[in-house]
Amino acid sequence: MFRAALAVSAILALSATAAPVAAEATAPSYAKEIAPILEQRCVQCHGDKQQLSGLRVDSREALLQGGSRGPSLEPGNADASLLYRHVAGAAEPRMPFGSTLATEEIASLKRWIDAGAPWEVAAEAAPEDKVWWAFKNPQRHDPPAGEAHPIDAFLAARLSEEGVARAPRADPRTLVRRAYLDLVGLLPPPAVVAAFEKDPSKEAFARLVDELLDSPRYGERWGRHWLDAVRYADSSGYEHDYDQPHAWRYRDYVIRAFNEDKPYDRFVQEQLAGDEVENPSFDTLIATGMLRVGPRVLFREKDNPQYRYNYLDDMIATTGRVFLGLTVDCARCHDHKFDAISQMDYYRTMAVFFPYVRYDFPLADQESIQRHEEASAKINAQIEPLKQRIAKLQAPYKELAREKSLDKFPKEIQVAVRTPEDQRTEGQRLLAAQVQSLGVSGYAELISESDAELLAELNAQVAALEEQLPAPLPMAMGIRDGDYRFAPDGLGDEPQPGKGDRQDFSGIEGTWLPVSGYKPPEARFMPNADYRTLGDVVKPGVIEALTSKGAFSPASPEHRISSGRRLALARWITSPDNPLSARVMANRIWMHHFGQGIVRTASNFGSMGTHPTHPKLLDWLATEFVKSGWSIKAMHRLMMTSDSYQMASAHSDPAAAKADPDNALLWRYRQRRLEGEVIRDIILNASGNLNLEAGGPGFFPPIPDQVRESFPKGKWDMSDPGPVNWRRSVYAYAKRGLRYPLFEVFDQPNMNVTCEQRNTTTVPTQALTLLNNEFALRQAGAYAQRVAGMADDDAGRVRAAYSIALSREPTESEMDANLEFLRRQREYHQGDALKALTDLCDVILNLNEFLYVS
Amino acid sequence: MSANPRFVSRRDFLFRAGEGISGLALAHMLQQEGLLASETACDAQGIVSPTAPREPHFKPRAKAVISLFMSGGVSHVDTFDHKPMLEKHHGQPLTGKGRVRVRQGFPGPLMRSPFKFQRYGECGKLVSELFPHMGAMVDDLAFVHSCKGRSNDHVLAHYEWNTGSVLMGHPSVGSWVTYGLGSENQSLPGFVVVYDHRGGPFSGPSNWSSGYLPATYQGTVFRSQGDPILDLRPPSELLSQEQQRARLDHLAQLNEEHAKQHPGSSELAARIASYELAYRMQGCAPEAVDISQESERTKALYGMDDPVTEPFGRQCLLARRLVERGVRFVQLYSGALRQQNIDTWDAHSNLIENHTLHAGEVDC
Repeated sequence: MFRAALAVSAILALSATAAPVAAEATAPSYAKEIAPILEQRCVQCHGDKQQLSGLRVDSREALLQGGSRGPSLEPGNADASLLYRHVAGAAEPRMPFGSTLATEEIASLKRWIDAGAPWEVAAEAAPEDKVWWAFKNPQRHDPPAGEAHPIDAFLAARLSEEGVARAPRADPRTLVRRAYLDLVGLLPPPAVVAAFEKDPSKEAFARLVDELLDSPRYGERWGRHWLDAVRYADSSGYEHDYDQPHAWRYRDYVIRAFNEDKPYDRFVQEQLAGDEVENPSFDTLIATGMLRVGPRVLFREKDNPQYRYNYLDDMIATTGRVFLGLTVDCARCHDHKFDAISQMDYYRTMAVFFPYVRYDFPLADQESIQRHEEASAKINAQIEPLKQRIAKLQAPYKELAREKSLDKFPKEIQVAVRTPEDQRTEGQRLLAAQVQSLGVSGYAELISESDAELLAELNAQVAALEEQLPAPLPMAMGIRDGDYRFAPDGLGDEPQPGKGDRQDFSGIEGTWLPVSGYKPPEARFMPNADYRTLGDVVKPGVIEALTSKGAFSPASPEHRISSGRRLALARWITSPDNPLSARVMANRIWMHHFGQGIVRTASNFGSMGTHPTHPKLLDWLATEFVKSGWSIKAMHRLMMTSDSYQMASAHSDPAAAKADPDNALLWRYRQRRLEGEVIRDIILNASGNLNLEAGGPGFFPPIPDQVRESFPKGKWDMSDPGPVNWRRSVYAYAKRGLRYPLFEVFDQPNMNVTCEQRNTTTVPTQALTLLNNEFALRQAGAYAQRVAGMADDDAGRVRAAYSIALSREPTESEMDANLEFLRRQREYHQGDALKALTDLCDVILNLNEFLYVS
Repeated sequence: MSANPRFVSRRDFLFRAGEGISGLALAHMLQQEGLLASETACDAQGIVSPTAPREPHFKPRAKAVISLFMSGGVSHVDTFDHKPMLEKHHGQPLTGKGRVRVRQGFPGPLMRSPFKFQRYGECGKLVSELFPHMGAMVDDLAFVHSCKGRSNDHVLAHYEWNTGSVLMGHPSVGSWVTYGLGSENQSLPGFVVVYDHRGGPFSGPSNWSSGYLPATYQGTVFRSQGDPILDLRPPSELLSQEQQRARLDHLAQLNEEHAKQHPGSSELAARIASYELAYRMQGCAPEAVDISQESERTKALYGMDDPVTEPFGRQCLLARRLVERGVRFVQLYSGALRQQNIDTWDAHSNLIENHTLHAGEVDC
């Protein structure tokens, strides 16, 4: 909004060339009609970024001077002007490449040139004295006086401007529940609630926060927030939705990083450049999985070079939005429409990632790897000759089968194949090649008995040897620098005659995974975001408008197998001078604690995002974050110990509701619905079935066949419906093509793009799921059984059920209603107390109070 | 709370209005906004469903969309796009500018259609023998032959058709339509998808994903037989319908007590209402798919009297029943991703067999 508006005031006609008077009367305005054509269709290749054929079209002088083909403009004579001739098709090649201008546009250009090409110059836009707020470094202001806690001080200052008072502190039971659900995503054990009710002091709350931050459950809760941001999934997406068998190691890395309170700057550096940091370890290499876990086709990639550019775009989009709160990816095809991010900035950033190659590596030391390789080689050496014998035995039968299968083809194809190669027509040659490319089937029936026996014997020998192969080494996935042009063929990449859009890299020197003296492949500018129209080589860099904010200086690390570009980017992002990084992360932490960011658009701090509701508070938090050594846990402590965090949500204040209906200024705590993952976890919590086994490959919660049949690709191994899949939701297999219905219906984000903040919808299908889903009903049964064992009478059981799930005693009227309900249900179930109790437990698991953090 | 500013702010607005003015005035306001088009769109407290019908910017000419998606790729030159030059150049390699590039298999020589074409209707449209019944209706149809995809991959092309992008993760057209216009019946989902009787299509649920729009707007899969929606009813061995009512009543009672402590929270009120809507949906959805209510004559019109056309005819009749009941967008799939070259329209080496089967199923 603060971007300098285009000021077109003084218009100056430069052209004094004699032009026909009649034409002048109808001469198109340069600013209105001609400039848009040149800017949108020509300057990408003929502007300041690059000058194909040595031509620039962004000034009249440059056009008059022209390029390698000579002057481009002859004012007053369109037919003699190359500019016109090339767009009109009068000269080759026709411009712009790959598309033509509209007839009216061509006509305008002609009239404009014939009229003498008058070039009205707009007055220079006033120098931008107002830099966009988020591009300026945070200013640390002292908190206003009058409050003990700085956060309260900043918030109170704004509230008092509106004459609104802060809500009182929430009751102890609400607070302890809030802290649990917020920090670890689980229900507070009744004993903890009771203890806190005895001493609900601020000090006791701070101690509780510390305890929860020390719990390994904390990383499982907050790691999940991060996984949303980095579009984590366990499968590749797209047609085949392949299993990514090592993705979970990155998920576990994230959980560990939160639990260890890894400094955020280091966290960023490891994810972007864990292979380039000093002292890389398996952990830091696994961290680069962040750049791998996005959606990938993983099929026929060499024949579809655009896939790689889409993956680079995914990396740029995720990096820009998650770490910087900037939509850098919007500048792929054109300069950013709203923010100071040029198309060149995009390609500079692309050049940072461009050297990447996929890197799967064993989690073992060199010695073990070597031992493993030697052992495998020894056995494979025995297998190989057996396989050759098998192939040799099968060959004549395959040939026979091919010959026989030919009969099924139309006559002309049979003729084509049976015609000797040198006598085939061009069409027959193509037909024969098609048939010969097909696999052969049905040869097994043709094999003679004795050969079949021999084959069986040989296959048995192979199988026996294969059993002796050493168990595969544990693997992980990440990225490193290399040369993608020399990557081995992947699925569907087999070269075949006539196939493919594969780029030709013959005559180029390079290594897929270099061992020394690394030279990264060059990245090129793409004016139309099309890999077939490449521009000049681009040097790696960062957003130009932010170059003064920390150094970007890539240096090849000591091992010299990497460009050091990603590390340079990560260091630039985490430089204390970067105006965005600390603000963006502090705001994310705030958003999860308070339900809404100080900047509501947590991944867009650009001009299409929202302004901060409390800019000084945001800046204070950002500087505090850096001062604390980028400690995320320090930020939790800071925020949660404020009175503002501990306010009641159940609070009514008509004056406040009038002054600030959206509660943007935080006069009461924002009550909010829990995520599907947390809902599932606390249902298991209530039933007593939650399996706290942490880490490792994902489990597959059972889904009905009717859902599974909607997308049978990829992997979904139904886990045993028992404890194996009662693990925490963060460990559930995240499949892009097929989501677990309970998560999906409760607004689990799309796993293909970074998620800024989850949606919270309220729809009947959520009710249907919680009411009728077999998982929920069975857990309600287990919950009832648990409660039945805790007391002998109905009243005692109601109290036990409430204390487990709702962390409180029922009120008198609730008790009456519940007892009455139990009585009626027991009657219905013919005296079966457990069935009646199950009905009650099911109702409790559906209560708003259960599903919301208050 | 939600990142979707529109319906929350509106809901909050209406709720706040509801606190201060009488229900009558509120109803009047809603009527003016066209929000009472369905009695179920809004309850007495003024909680507006995110899928409440909304007025479009222009006077609409259509109320609902039924989209029939032939998954796997219908060969245009064998159906509705007659290419006489193929006859002439049959068996010859394709020549002309540039080189032929394929991404899979081999570029074969040109091949004339094995199917005969004939002219139909007043417009004289050439249609192949695969579609005699559709041929009879050409004067009432619009054919768009200029459409082309940016990907040669099934899945990416499915995404592009449904979402406008070959990349995964964008909202589908049905989601956009429901997001923009809402739906006329709050007891049924606004955007419904019905599979081929053999199973789901290429790329599955991503085709009807709401992308970055709220999940409310994603397509809901309706099965054409039995309970149409997942978890519509509890497993019968666990819970009876009658018992569900008893639970719902108790739930509502407890929830309302809780809501009193949180005055002004439209969100809690909306959730209470959503349970009632869910209960209504349990009645409405099975009724909507109950094709036995249709006359034999109607069923015959949909080809349900012939075992070949019965499954797709059932899908089509179901779609009609759904839009009659106010569903905004229905998408039907023909072709299921089991054996790709047999169960979808993806005829790699068996064009005659494949297209005869699939066209035969949908043409009636």
